[in-house]
Amino acid sequence: MTTTIQETDERIIAVLSGELDTAAAAQTEKDLQPLLNSKGKEIVLDCKDLEYISSSGLRVLLSILKQAQAVGSRVVLKNVNDVIHDVLDISGFISIFDIE
Amino acid sequence: MASLKNSWLSRVGIVVLAAVMVEILSIVQYEHVQKALLEETDLRSRVVMNSMAEEIQHTLERTEITMRENLWDIKRSMAHPDSVFGAVVRLIDDDRNLVGGCLAFRPYFYPSKGRLYEPYASLHPDGTIKVEQIAGPDHDYTLNEEYLWVLENRCTSWTDPYKYGPDSLAFTTYLLPIYDNNGQIDAVCGLDMDLSWLGDTLNSRQPYPSSFGLLLTPEGELVAGPSKSRTPEDEVKQVVDLLNGLIPASDLPGVSYSSTRLFKDPYWLVVEVYKTDEVYARVRRQRRQQVLFIILGLAILSFMINRYARNERKLRQASEEKARMGGELAVAHRIQQQMLPKTFPPFVYGSLEPALEVGGDLFDFYTRDGKLFFCIGDVTGKGVPSAMLMSVAHSLFRILSQKIDNPSRILEFMNKELSRGNDSNMFITFFVGCLDLYSGELRFSNAGHDKPFVISSDISLLPSKSNLPLAAFPDTQFEEQTFNVAPGTVLLLYTDGLTEAKNMDRKSFGRPRIQEVLENFRSNQDQSLSNLVSTLSEAAHSFAGEAPQSDDLTMLAIRFDPENNRRDQITLVNKESEVTRLGSFVKDFLAPMDLDKKLASGLRLALEEAVVNVIDYAYPAGEQGEILINADTNGHEVRFTITDSGYPFDPTTVLKPDTTLDAQNRPIGGLGIFLSRKLMDSISYNRIGSKNVLSLTKFIL
Repeated sequence: MTTTIQETDERIIAVLSGELDTAAAAQTEKDLQPLLNSKGKEIVLDCKDLEYISSSGLRVLLSILKQAQAVGSRVVLKNVNDVIHDVLDISGFISIFDIE
Repeated sequence: MASLKNSWLSRVGIVVLAAVMVEILSIVQYEHVQKALLEETDLRSRVVMNSMAEEIQHTLERTEITMRENLWDIKRSMAHPDSVFGAVVRLIDDDRNLVGGCLAFRPYFYPSKGRLYEPYASLHPDGTIKVEQIAGPDHDYTLNEEYLWVLENRCTSWTDPYKYGPDSLAFTTYLLPIYDNNGQIDAVCGLDMDLSWLGDTLNSRQPYPSSFGLLLTPEGELVAGPSKSRTPEDEVKQVVDLLNGLIPASDLPGVSYSSTRLFKDPYWLVVEVYKTDEVYARVRRQRRQQVLFIILGLAILSFMINRYARNERKLRQASEEKARMGGELAVAHRIQQQMLPKTFPPFVYGSLEPALEVGGDLFDFYTRDGKLFFCIGDVTGKGVPSAMLMSVAHSLFRILSQKIDNPSRILEFMNKELSRGNDSNMFITFFVGCLDLYSGELRFSNAGHDKPFVISSDISLLPSKSNLPLAAFPDTQFEEQTFNVAPGTVLLLYTDGLTEAKNMDRKSFGRPRIQEVLENFRSNQDQSLSNLVSTLSEAAHSFAGEAPQSDDLTMLAIRFDPENNRRDQITLVNKESEVTRLGSFVKDFLAPMDLDKKLASGLRLALEEAVVNVIDYAYPAGEQGEILINADTNGHEVRFTITDSGYPFDPTTVLKPDTTLDAQNRPIGGLGIFLSRKLMDSISYNRIGSKNVLSLTKFIL
């Protein structure tokens, strides 16, 4: 599981690739800390290479969403594949994230 | 309501129409009969009158004969004027109808007696006959019309009837010239006849109680009629007045008459008077009877129409009821069919053909924890009551087999429930089996059902012991047996609808014929189970031919096919980093099955969440523990079994989290087990000894 963060003037983009399972969740949460300094910039989570996510992974995403919302940033999930979409759907997360 | 009223109206209409038609017919007939009767009466009275006229003539002729027979006596007596009296008296004596007789001699016949001489004898009421000479200045017979007529015409004659006054009797006089040897008329003999007998003659043979006969002179004067006791005088007088044209016919309604003429011109008139009422009395009586019959007939007709209408209504109600019942049966049939499994994995196939709309047969199966639970049953009888009992049995099987693995225990609990309040004394033969889809171990218990066929290298019957059927006694014990099913073996369960399918000769399909079909199937093992079942069904139907299906026909075929069975296992310690190993293990295990990405990912996720749950909570913090994970598949199903030695914990009892909350209110945890349950077909927990055993299964077809 690797995360790459790119920052532009308007947004911070995190590219998630690999499998976000329970074992990878803690490290990924750490890797995504820079997102929390968004200062109102839009946060984009690019999931095009994300192959798997468990509830721990969802918890990481939820944690980012809650903190971003607290500082007035929007969180967008991008390029969500079928497998991930399915999990978001079953868990009800589909209604709390903006998915593009 | 409108239709009721309509049908009532139409019924009344039919009766009224029938009444009018019958009445018209009756009236026409009545008029016809009346006319015919009147004509007949007229004819008959003419016959009567003619016979009476004949009788009158005959009476008169008798007098004429008497006269001729006594003529010699008279002629002889004429030798002396006084002896004439004796001859006249003898004449009167000879004929009882004569009341008087005389001889009027030509003037100066007896010079001693002067110009006129008329000796006269008359019968007095006391029976004596008196004689006298009646001619004189007051009674000059030479001026008498009749006397002169006889002289002129020289022949005998009867005078017209005459009376001496309104109340006098009527008389007629027979006049006869008496010649001398030269043909000169010496005297005219006159015999007075009392006509009172005429009345009796005329009224002696009257056809009706109030009819009567009359004799009238040509002048219309009444000569003879009925006695006063027979007919009141007034009535007779009115009729005479009518005949003389003195009163119109309308004054005497209901009176009719026929008349005939008597003697020569001017004619006497014989009249027969009768009352139409009496003539018609019989036909009126008949008509009254007829009307009574008609009324009676109509009453019967309305009764019948009423009955018919009622029967028809009942019939309609019955047929509506039947249609309603049919509808409800169709619904019941649908419900029953819906309760049956509809989709079949390649290793199971079943079918149920009810003999009636709903049947008392049942089959069911499902897999749980890598085991196939299946059953087949037959309630005594068929139709709705059987189907209802079977529905209860079905529900019980479903509920009990979810929790209980032992077929005998399932039967025991089912039996307890079904026996309670089973007043109808129906019972159920039932077979419950539990086939381990990995090892081929079959555990089963048989409550009086037909032994299943086992089709492997040969064809045999499953060596099962028959226990009592369900619902018979509440305390029945059911023996549980095991049987090792070899790979490739097919089990065929059936109800007696198959073995006892009857043809027109009441012969049963029977096991040997089933065996034939099974042999065929065995020699061609590639056939699908649905093929086997439909072939058997067709064979049974073609054997029965035209005979109606006698019982529900139910079959369930199961193939133990472990060809694609695979298993693997891994042991983890209670650390979250172990999840990476778990991921590789699952991916490697599922890889050969070439599953859909989403399905494979879902299976992995479900297992991971369940395992993480154990890692996080099973063991006390800081204490190391092991977690054994078994993965099995038979090609149709994937089963994960997670075994740990931690705290007893049943994750299946964890409440479902609220997945509709927004981000701020959503708790961070609690989602894992929910995802597992969502993604798998079944999750079951068992505490075995000091171990937690959690099974997760998923159909993959």
